[in-house]
Amino acid sequence: MTSVPQRLSSAPRSTASTPPLPRRLWNALRGLLLSEYFILYLSIAYFLLISLFFPTLLEPSNLSNQLTNIWPLLTIAIGQTFVLIIAGIDLSQGSVMAICSVVGGVILSTSLSKSVMSNSPLWGTLLTEKGGILSGDPNAVLVAVLLMVAVGALIGFINGTAITRFNMPPFMVTLVSLLFFSAFAIYLTQSRNIANLPDSFLRLGQGDIVSVYLGEKATPQIKRTELLSLVTYSAVIAVALGVVAHFILSRTVFGRQMYAIGTNRRAAEISGVPTRRVITLVYMFSGACAGLAAVIYSARLGAGRPTLGDNLLLDIIGATVIGGTSLFGGKGKVLWTLFGVVFFTLLLNTLNQMRLSAFQIDAVKGSVILLAALIDVTRNRFLTGGRVA
Amino acid sequence: MTALLTLQSISKAFFGVYAVRDVTLNVPAGRILGLIGQNGAGKSTLMNLIGGVLAPDAGSMTFDGKPYVPRTPSDAVSAGIAFIHQELNLFTNLSIAENIFLGAFPQRRGFPFVGIDRAAMRRQSEALLEAVDLKVKPESPVEQLAPGERQLVEIAKALQLDARLIIFDEPTTSLTTRETRKLVEIMQRLRERGTTLIYISHILNDVLSLADEIAVMRDGELIAHAPRVEFDASRMISLMVGYSLDQLFPPRTSTPTQTPLLTLKGISQPGIVKDIGLTVNAGEVVGLFGLMGSGRTELARIIFGLDSFASGEIVIGGEVLRHTSVRESIRNRIAFVTENRREEGLLMTSAIAENIGLVSLPRYALPGVQVVDQPRLERAVGQAANQLQIKSGNIERQAAKALSGGNQQKVVIAKWLLSEPSLFIMDEPTRGIDVGAKYEIYSIINTLAAEGNGVLFISSEIEELMGMCDRIVVMSQGEIYGEFTRADFDKEAILRTAFREQATQKAGDHAADPA
Amino acid sequence: MSNKFRGLALVVLTAALLLVNFATLHPTTVRAQAKKKVCFAFQDLETEFWVAGHKAITETLKAKGIDVIEVNGNQDANKQLEQIKDCIAQKVAGIIVIPQDGDSAVTIVKEAQKADIPIAIFNRPPTDTSKGIVVVADNKVIAQQAVEFLAQRALRQVEITGNKVTPLILVGDLGDPNAVGRKDGFYAVIDKYPALFNKPIEVATEWDAKIALANLEAAITANPNIDLIFTSSDFLFPTIRSILEPRGKWLPRGQKGHVIMGGLDGDATACKLIKDGFVDATGVQDLYYEAQLTLDGILGAIDKGETQPNRVLPDPGFALTAGNIDFREKDMWGCRLLAEGFLNKK
Repeated sequence: MTSVPQRLSSAPRSTASTPPLPRRLWNALRGLLLSEYFILYLSIAYFLLISLFFPTLLEPSNLSNQLTNIWPLLTIAIGQTFVLIIAGIDLSQGSVMAICSVVGGVILSTSLSKSVMSNSPLWGTLLTEKGGILSGDPNAVLVAVLLMVAVGALIGFINGTAITRFNMPPFMVTLVSLLFFSAFAIYLTQSRNIANLPDSFLRLGQGDIVSVYLGEKATPQIKRTELLSLVTYSAVIAVALGVVAHFILSRTVFGRQMYAIGTNRRAAEISGVPTRRVITLVYMFSGACAGLAAVIYSARLGAGRPTLGDNLLLDIIGATVIGGTSLFGGKGKVLWTLFGVVFFTLLLNTLNQMRLSAFQIDAVKGSVILLAALIDVTRNRFLTGGRVA
Repeated sequence: MTALLTLQSISKAFFGVYAVRDVTLNVPAGRILGLIGQNGAGKSTLMNLIGGVLAPDAGSMTFDGKPYVPRTPSDAVSAGIAFIHQELNLFTNLSIAENIFLGAFPQRRGFPFVGIDRAAMRRQSEALLEAVDLKVKPESPVEQLAPGERQLVEIAKALQLDARLIIFDEPTTSLTTRETRKLVEIMQRLRERGTTLIYISHILNDVLSLADEIAVMRDGELIAHAPRVEFDASRMISLMVGYSLDQLFPPRTSTPTQTPLLTLKGISQPGIVKDIGLTVNAGEVVGLFGLMGSGRTELARIIFGLDSFASGEIVIGGEVLRHTSVRESIRNRIAFVTENRREEGLLMTSAIAENIGLVSLPRYALPGVQVVDQPRLERAVGQAANQLQIKSGNIERQAAKALSGGNQQKVVIAKWLLSEPSLFIMDEPTRGIDVGAKYEIYSIINTLAAEGNGVLFISSEIEELMGMCDRIVVMSQGEIYGEFTRADFDKEAILRTAFREQATQKAGDHAADPA
Repeated sequence: MSNKFRGLALVVLTAALLLVNFATLHPTTVRAQAKKKVCFAFQDLETEFWVAGHKAITETLKAKGIDVIEVNGNQDANKQLEQIKDCIAQKVAGIIVIPQDGDSAVTIVKEAQKADIPIAIFNRPPTDTSKGIVVVADNKVIAQQAVEFLAQRALRQVEITGNKVTPLILVGDLGDPNAVGRKDGFYAVIDKYPALFNKPIEVATEWDAKIALANLEAAITANPNIDLIFTSSDFLFPTIRSILEPRGKWLPRGQKGHVIMGGLDGDATACKLIKDGFVDATGVQDLYYEAQLTLDGILGAIDKGETQPNRVLPDPGFALTAGNIDFREKDMWGCRLLAEGFLNKK
């Protein structure tokens, strides 16, 4: 049987049969736009451009700072990436962070002030003037970290079950979780922070494993030492999580099934994919990532905070989408999210340098996400080319 | 015979590949021209050229004797050409009248922009609906209409435009027999009025009964154009595929055994199916026929475990099951090729290889962490693709949506083949597929049976079932109403069995249709 | 144009627009390397106190020829931490911070001192006041002074009516040590005169006018016979008025049914209300004094080359009452602003 030349089926609908630019330039542009590394190139190019105007951006201390901002955001964004791949969304990650932070504080705190905490429903039972449950215990940090991740996974389990068993839309389920758990965290602590966490915990967010000593520098008035973080505990946590996540997505059956569900849930179900189990596990993973991120953020800020993650949702979803993960499901990679987080962090860095007001910064964030969506659509058009037989 | 529309050496290429090559065609005025050809033969591109969606690379057209160079679809509309696409272009949230007059609302006299003259709109709509014999009020929202009725609204639209040429693209695929008959009547009436019609269809018998002239396209070229009398089904097929097909159906090489693979006993689900008893043996192809709404697909879904059943049992490989699930079914080596491959069978944007491997992933993974054994999987997938002769680019990279309908269906079958099932449930496996690909799918089904598997073949085309099956089971309104062995195959008898209970239904119901 | 090209053009255009946007909003500045840089990190300026404080600090610094890098944390502790770290990376000479709460302040001070940059905390102290230059008013004492005056009024009322007075306190965000201090000061006085007072009603505000409105409304509805109201911050007086006035309880001194009222901060609104007779006393944080202390502290540390200065600089404050307003109003920053026409600008 004569075969139809396959090109015909994917021919674009346009009236032009030749591209509008010289072919080589056109191909180069296409290659660039379609490349996985597009966002990375864009981030670096943008950063270098802005640093022409603000040279302090390239100073080692600034770069080291930006690194420390990347790791916690990456940790939680990896969880969101998983959820987006299955065409879901997890709006509750911020509140999961809040609850897990409170849980961590309740376990770890070494001392608390009565006048501040006495209104909390946990006062007298789990929280006393001596601190939290495992106050002073050498194993407290390990227990706290495990429990924070577990609580995150539990909330994810609740989300996932509501979505799969009761067929409720993810947007609504996670929105309700967001509202409920934020309020619950505030209720448990009556808005107070649970302070006085042990140093061994704080090191997870603030401590260096490898630092770079740049010696003494004389800045305008004062001699000061410069000690820069290079490899920190939070870096190790984030990178380890990234490696595990990448492995799951690219090499395991579970990962492939995730992509199938995100592309076409019905077809996946008919093909024997255990959709309910996969979806629930993915939401648990997202919650666990939020719990892990709570470890890093709480350690950074030195307290169990019921308001942790309040303003983070835009950053999380923005960074993930900019990286290239599609909001419609079926597409996403850990590497892309890393690039998206890098881009977002560098963008915020430059905006802070420009001393824009908070309102202007939010406006820019919003337009950048819009730009990312446009790029996504354009890339899609390049790839699919047009109508199909 | 004057030609209303002439095409002179029209060509159109995309990236160097010709979709339409040097086509010269005269569309006779006041006649019905049937246009046939396989998918990819260039029919749609040719229609898009006529309709102003595309511009030809070479050649010229005339309409009504004057040069015709449409730059946009509205040029075609102004010239008097109307298109009735396969996917209807109606707005379901608007009323019939609004759809008909969209873009051409009758204005109230006096001022411009004073508003739509709804009374005039209603009057004119009523007249148009009368012309197409659609007894529905013009204010009714389109979403309440059945596919056949929506088709008639599209025709009313075309009449409103006072089209001289109406092009029908696969108009009967989602119509019932009765609606098809009505459509045919309207088309004949249009022809009597002097309207010229081009009728594109895969259903060769319909074309043969309706068209005055038939044109055949193949690989972008116009192969034949002659009055209808010079054609018969087998000539049409040979012209379309380029070689002669002695028969539509490949010969069976095996006989069914007596070993039951699947037995249904008393399966009931209130409102869906009642007391179903059915057996499929190894090496057997069992056809399941029925009208739309008879419950065939629902039964298939119950067998496969997608839906539950209230009472009865399913016996698979000796094991009696009171309830089952998709995963159980797959474990019991059942495969289900659904009737809509785009929505339920394929991951359209994923690579072909990804699709083929989907069901069998766990089998190609290391135990424990379930890491995929990529090389072994790739080999198996490649083998399956070759076995079924799927024509595509690199299967690891090309998305399923880039394939033709026939190849897409092969991908779905390959996906199931990989899981090594023994029972195949196939629901309308050749719907929307051209003749050449249909034959290939039939061959695949025969091979499956020859290898000792069982096939439950659900279809609405009696000829297809009669050509392929050992037995045909007829369903009607959720129950099994009859069974025919090969020796007793008789088209009328089968149809009558399917229609049995319809006489008591009220007139106006689509299904109520004496044979 | 084909769809693809149009899409790409749109992308490039948007990107170009964004860049042009930045360039014009913030023209590049070639910084004189010799100019000192001080980082001023604050939160949303939601009350007169903060607005006036921010103005005092920034204007004084600029007048001294210092480059002020202003960053607003928007009540987000993590954001403020990142902003401080940014400032540190920009090698500022010193940092002035208004923290979100006492705990994040501790972390911020630690960061600054790790990088050997002197840091001063304005008005909201860290929970550990041993690190950094901490400028803070003794909120407990100041609150006590104000509430003591209110107690005297209550005594006179009890003598006339023979009934105990029912007090109500609007409590601030207890994550802010200042709010805790003010609450403690209030209770110190109430507990001193058990014969005068019924059990006080507590209304939470979280330093948010909306929350205060809702909670106060509920409290007044449940307890219509409130005789005395103490607000942890003067900025809530308009909220109190909006609830009392419709109920006919917004009456000046001397009229029957006047609710004894006191606050803390010393802003222009309070000054006017005391003059008009509606409010009886307010505890005054000496805003300009505190700003002066902060600036002297940080600039002094910079000049002396101190990298980790630690000291607490207290603001003793005082109570401005109906009794002493005539000769002490010049000491209250709010009255000064009032005289300058601050409230007319609104």
